[in-house]
Amino acid sequence: MKRSVRTGLVAAVVVSMAGMMLAGCSPAAPSGGSASSGAASIKTAMVTDVGGLGDKSFNDLSYAGLQRAQKDLKVNIKVLQSHQITDYVTNLSELSGAGYSPVFAVGFLMSDAVTQESTAFPKTDFGGIDIDFTNPPKNVVGLNFKEQEAGYLAGVVAGLATQATFDPRLNKDNTLGFVGGMAIPPVQRYEAGFVAGAKSVDPGVKIISLYAGRFDDQAKGKELGLSLISSGADIVFAAAGQTGTGTEKACADSGKALFIGVDSDQFLTIPNSGNVMLTSAVKRVDNAVYLVVKDAAAGKFPGGQNLTFGLKDDGVGIAPFHDFDSKVPQSIKDAVAKAETDIKSGAVVVPTTLK
Amino acid sequence: MSETREVVVRESGWLKVLRLVGVPFISVLLAMAVGSVIIAVTGGDPVAAFAALLQGAFGGPVQIGETILRTTPLIFTGLAVAFGFRANLFNIGAEGQLAMGALAAAWFGLLLAGLPTGLAIPLVMLGGALFGAAWAFVPALLKARVGAHEVITTMMFSWIALYLVSWIVTGPLSDKSGIPETPMLSSSVWLVTFDKFIAGIPPVRAHLGFIIALAAAAVVWWVLSRTTLGYSVRAVGFNPQAAENGGISIAWTTIWALCISGALAGLAGASEVLGVQHRLFDQVSTSSGFGFTGIAVALLAKNNPTGVVFAALLFGALAAGSGNMQLEANISPQIINIIQGLIIFFVAADSIVTWFIKRRQRLALESKVVADAE
Repeated sequence: MKRSVRTGLVAAVVVSMAGMMLAGCSPAAPSGGSASSGAASIKTAMVTDVGGLGDKSFNDLSYAGLQRAQKDLKVNIKVLQSHQITDYVTNLSELSGAGYSPVFAVGFLMSDAVTQESTAFPKTDFGGIDIDFTNPPKNVVGLNFKEQEAGYLAGVVAGLATQATFDPRLNKDNTLGFVGGMAIPPVQRYEAGFVAGAKSVDPGVKIISLYAGRFDDQAKGKELGLSLISSGADIVFAAAGQTGTGTEKACADSGKALFIGVDSDQFLTIPNSGNVMLTSAVKRVDNAVYLVVKDAAAGKFPGGQNLTFGLKDDGVGIAPFHDFDSKVPQSIKDAVAKAETDIKSGAVVVPTTLK
Repeated sequence: MSETREVVVRESGWLKVLRLVGVPFISVLLAMAVGSVIIAVTGGDPVAAFAALLQGAFGGPVQIGETILRTTPLIFTGLAVAFGFRANLFNIGAEGQLAMGALAAAWFGLLLAGLPTGLAIPLVMLGGALFGAAWAFVPALLKARVGAHEVITTMMFSWIALYLVSWIVTGPLSDKSGIPETPMLSSSVWLVTFDKFIAGIPPVRAHLGFIIALAAAAVVWWVLSRTTLGYSVRAVGFNPQAAENGGISIAWTTIWALCISGALAGLAGASEVLGVQHRLFDQVSTSSGFGFTGIAVALLAKNNPTGVVFAALLFGALAAGSGNMQLEANISPQIINIIQGLIIFFVAADSIVTWFIKRRQRLALESKVVADAE
C-alpha cells in the first residue's frame, strides 16, 4: 500500500516537474505562477502545536502567512494539526516524506522534533516559529520576534492613557496590569517591553504582572484580570493566547478597565470587543512565514541561522485604535509614532528582560 | 424440561463471550459508521479517509512503529483504570499519577545516568511506579478511612500533580532555556527503539516500553486471576459486604487496588519520558491526556487485561493514523476525537446492544421450547 502511494507521489512529482519545465519553456506562461519573479511552484506546509488551528495566535497567524503565499506565490500548502506532543515528529516526517519544503514547526515545544527531523530529512527545509536553535544546520531557520518592541509601544499607549481622562473607566490609581500565559521568553519579552514603554512615559507608573501558567485557560485569565482590576489596574495587557480572551472578558464585565490584545489585532478576532479593546501588540508571524516561503520559492531558503523580526522588518507592531480612535488624544498617537521612529532608528533599544 | 435448561446454560456461556468481544467490536463498527456519515456530511470521502487512516497506522514498519508508540502509554493507563474498576474504584486521576511517574523518571533519570543502563532503567521505571503509587495513596487512604469518594480526590490530586510538575520544570529541574522543560536525559537511560534489536527495519520510534507494557498486562492478569490479592479485589468489586463477611478487609483491598492502579499510571509517565520525549515538559499545557484516554480503553476492554492491550492498540492506531488522514484525505483530526467519543458512547450504551442480543435469543429459545413441546 505504501509503495503504491510512493509510486503515486513520484508520478505526481514527475508530472509537476514536467509541467514546470513546460511553463518555463513557453514564452508567455499564462497562469503557471509569477514566472517573472523566478518563483517556482513548491509545496510548503506547517505543523501546529497542540493548540491547533483556531488559537487566534501563532498557529492561525502562521497559517495566514501560508495562505497568502498560496495566493500570491501560487505554492501548494498543507497543515497538519498536532494533538499530543508525540505527534510533532510524526507530522514533520509525514510532510517531509511527502515532499513538502519548507515545513514550518509552530511553537517552542517543537525544538527537539525539528532538530531530529532535520537530520533524518536533510533535503527538507524547516522553519521553527518562536524557536531559537543552537547551531541550526543549513536546512533549518529559527524565526523569532522582537516582542519587546511591540510591548514597548503598548506600554507607551497604556502609560499615557492611564493618566488621561478620555474614558470614564480610566481611574487615578496610575496602575497597569499584565497577564502572561507561560513564563517563556517570548511572553517575558512582551512584559519587559510593556514595562519599559510605560516607564518611559511615566517613571512612577505601577505595573502588576501575573502569570496563568497556560495559554488555553479562559477562566484563569478572567480570574487574574479581575484581581488586577480590583488592585486598581485600569488597563490590562494580556500576552496569554486564549487565556487572554478571559482577561478581556474580565475587563468587559467589570466595566472598570480597558484591554490591550496580543499577537493578532484582537479587535478583529475577539467578537464584540470594540468597547474595551484599546489596541493590540501584534506579532506578524504571517509576514515571517510568507517571507521565508518567498525566499524558498526563489531558491534562497535562509537556513543555518536564527532570524529575528522586529519593528523595522514589519515583524512586530501595534494595531489601530479602532473604536477608540476618535477618543484617544493626538498626544498619545504622536508619542507612539515617536517611539516607533526611535526604535527603528536605534535611538531606543528595548530591553528583552526585566531588570 | 431438563433439555431446555441445558440449552440456557450453554447459551449464557456463549453470551458471555459475545458480551466481552462482540459488543466492543460492534460498538467500534457503529462508531466508524457514524463517523463515516459525519465525514461525508462535512464534505469528505469516508472511504478515502479510513484508507488513509489504515495506511497511516499500519502501512509499513514506520507506521506500525508509530501505532505501537501511541499504544504503549494507553496500555499502562488502561490497565491502571481497569484494575481500579475491578475493585469498583474509579481512578479518574491517572493523569496526575502519570505526571508524577514522568517526574520521577525525569529526576531519577538525571541522577542515575552514570549507572550501567541495565541497572539504571529498571530503577528509574521502579521510581516512576512508586511515585504514581504514592500519588494514589492519599486518595486511597481517604477512601479507606473516611469514605471520601475517589472520583473527587483522585481528580483533585491530579491537578495538584500537574501544577507541581509545572513548577518543578520551570524551577528546580529547569534546563534554564526559558522553555518549561527539564534537561535532556543521557541516552544511556533511554528505552531503546525496536530498530536497535530488530534487524532490517528502518528507524522507528516504538520502544522497549511496549514490551514492558505487555509484561505489565500479563502481571495484572496473573494478579487478578491467580493471587489472593486479586481475589480480594474482585470480591470487593463484586459485593463489598459479602467480601467483608467472608473475611476480606475492604480498607486494605481499596488501598492496594488504588496504589497498584497509580503505579501502572506512573509507569506510563516513566515510559513516555524514557522512551519518547527523553525529558519532561510542562504537563499543564502539554498533557497528552493518556490518563483520560485510559478510561476509554478500560471501558472498551471491559476491564480485561488482554482486552486492554487490544483496546489500547485501537486507540493508538486511531491517533497514529490521524496525521496521514489529514495529509492524504484532508480530514480534520477532530474527526478522530469524534470517533473516539462515539466508541465510548456505544460501549457505554452496550446494555442496548446486549438487550437486543438477549431479546433475539430469548425469542429464538422460546420458539425452540414451543417447538420441543409440540
